[in-house]
Amino acid sequence: MKFLVNLAFKNLFRHKRRTLITSIAIAVGLALFILIDSMLVGIEEDSTRNLVLYETGSARIMDSQFWEEHENLPLKHSIDNPQPILEELEAAGIDAAPRTVFRGELIMQKDPYPESGSIQAQITAIDPQRDPQVYLIEESISEGRFLKEDRLEAVLGAWLAEDIGARVGYPLTVVTRSKEGFFQTIDLEIVGLANTPNPVVNRTGIFIPIKTADYYLQMAGSVTQIDTSFAYQADIEEQTSKIRSVALDSRPDLTVVDWKILGKDFVALAAAKSAGSKVILFLVFIIAAVGISNTMLMSVYERIREIGMLRALGMERHEIRLAFLIEAGGIGLIGASVGVLIGVLLNIPLVNTGIDYSALMRDADMGYRITGIMRGLWSTATIFTAFFTGVFLSVLMAFIPTRKALKLQITDALRYQ
Amino acid sequence: MIQIKGLKKQYRSGETVVQALRGVDLEIQNGEFLSIAGPSGSGKTTLLNLIGCLDTADEGSIHIDSTNVAEKSRKELALLRREKIGFVFQSFNLIPVLTAYENASFPLSLLGVTDKELHDRTVKIMQEVGLEEMMHRKPAELSGGQQQRVAIARALIKSPEIVLADEPTANLDSETGQDILDLMEVLNAKHNTTFIFSTHDQMVMDFAHRLVRLHDGLIHSDELTQRTAAGTKVGSRSVGSRA
Repeated sequence: MKFLVNLAFKNLFRHKRRTLITSIAIAVGLALFILIDSMLVGIEEDSTRNLVLYETGSARIMDSQFWEEHENLPLKHSIDNPQPILEELEAAGIDAAPRTVFRGELIMQKDPYPESGSIQAQITAIDPQRDPQVYLIEESISEGRFLKEDRLEAVLGAWLAEDIGARVGYPLTVVTRSKEGFFQTIDLEIVGLANTPNPVVNRTGIFIPIKTADYYLQMAGSVTQIDTSFAYQADIEEQTSKIRSVALDSRPDLTVVDWKILGKDFVALAAAKSAGSKVILFLVFIIAAVGISNTMLMSVYERIREIGMLRALGMERHEIRLAFLIEAGGIGLIGASVGVLIGVLLNIPLVNTGIDYSALMRDADMGYRITGIMRGLWSTATIFTAFFTGVFLSVLMAFIPTRKALKLQITDALRYQ
Repeated sequence: MIQIKGLKKQYRSGETVVQALRGVDLEIQNGEFLSIAGPSGSGKTTLLNLIGCLDTADEGSIHIDSTNVAEKSRKELALLRREKIGFVFQSFNLIPVLTAYENASFPLSLLGVTDKELHDRTVKIMQEVGLEEMMHRKPAELSGGQQQRVAIARALIKSPEIVLADEPTANLDSETGQDILDLMEVLNAKHNTTFIFSTHDQMVMDFAHRLVRLHDGLIHSDELTQRTAAGTKVGSRSVGSRA
């Protein structure tokens, strides 16, 4: 065994340049693997957090009919008398906030706006007191202030404001229909701009006080939804069951939907992108594997006569195979060590500082819920996977040509040119 | 002792069947210094390969010390080669990344001897082949003759019963070839190891104590040489010419 290891080690440096190139191929592949994985996991983690904290909450209570027709936002299927539910949730230690979401048309007049016009929009009426228990909109106010109860004011997503030329202090008119279907016009003043890490909120968010909406939409105290918040890592099934048992036992007309369903566009997109990214990672590995395979093929085939000699001198096939596999493992070990080192070193700034994609994210909707800085995430499992895959892949790639060479008759191997 | 009876071997090359050996009978005593001679295609290498258990015969038998090698498994044959047979190849076949010392000691590593024994025996054999000053050089730093000396050291280090050398001087100039044959002859006498070498070179044949000539896969002649008669080496038996 000592001899086999010695032989393998010395053969490792028989063609230094070849070993170096192959090791670099493995190292680059693994470093890329660590970085891409770190980036993808980081983006997904941040996106999920931003989805929950700025867009969907952890779970949402709605009228079952509202949920069925939620694309139309039917105010007639709202939750009547939400107060007892909010109190029960509060008693059970579950943070909750009522919201009413409705559609309307924003009317902008030239002066102070750059141009006159209107856009269709989705407006979210929030409880300025309770909403911060579930969402972090208040913390994201970049200009002006957050909403106050029962006032005719609005907070806009920062990008939306930029797009329509709105500023704090500008008037904003919303034309909508009340719960009963009557047209209503609400004249508001923009009191703040929210610059959140969630591009959807920045691009489309319009928030007004819930009491203002209640009055103008003639909701009579009803709301379209109650959003709840629980720990992001908590078991979703368990938490939604808890919400059901705490608050909905006496309200069979209501349903609870968790963030994975509410953000299914993002979840599906993340899954699709994850699959696509795995293909990229697979290709990276294929490139590394081809490099190793090529090296080991050359290494084995140029030494067929040597293999014949070793067998003639009494070495058994498994001993020779082991020597070649140790050699390949050595190349893998060098490549994997360097690759992991490079990957880890490059991942440090990626995790701590991240890469600023804000210019790209501002103008393009990539589906992720992040606005600019994409940060990586440490994953010990990925680093170990990369390392052991590098070594294992090298050994695997050496196994096939070695096996083929060892199948030759000794006399044929000795004659091999 | 090696006993060969009715040995036949044929090869297929595409549609052509080549009769490499067509019924060889031969008996080789321990300690002989024997040359198998003949033109290309006469079956020399095939016979050496079969004696060395590198290949299997189609018909006939080879007994090494009363053991029929045909009855041995692949693993047993590997062990037999490891313990009892040394090889010297025409093109030396040294491992380029190992030093002369490491190349020569390699068969002992396979036998699992202690580090001290491995060192002592390697130094001794390197002295015997006259390379004690160069044993830490790699093959590329040695001349052809020196490389073949390392190969001989590698073949002899485990004190095998048989050393098989296929055209051992073919890649050497005549002077170096003669040195190598001198060395082989000395070591044959010293270790009483059976040396069997193939050649088509008259100078090499002249060194042999017994000369077996092959022609078209059959033994054409089998005789003790003048070198034996002159007393350089005395075989333990007499042989007659065989057609």
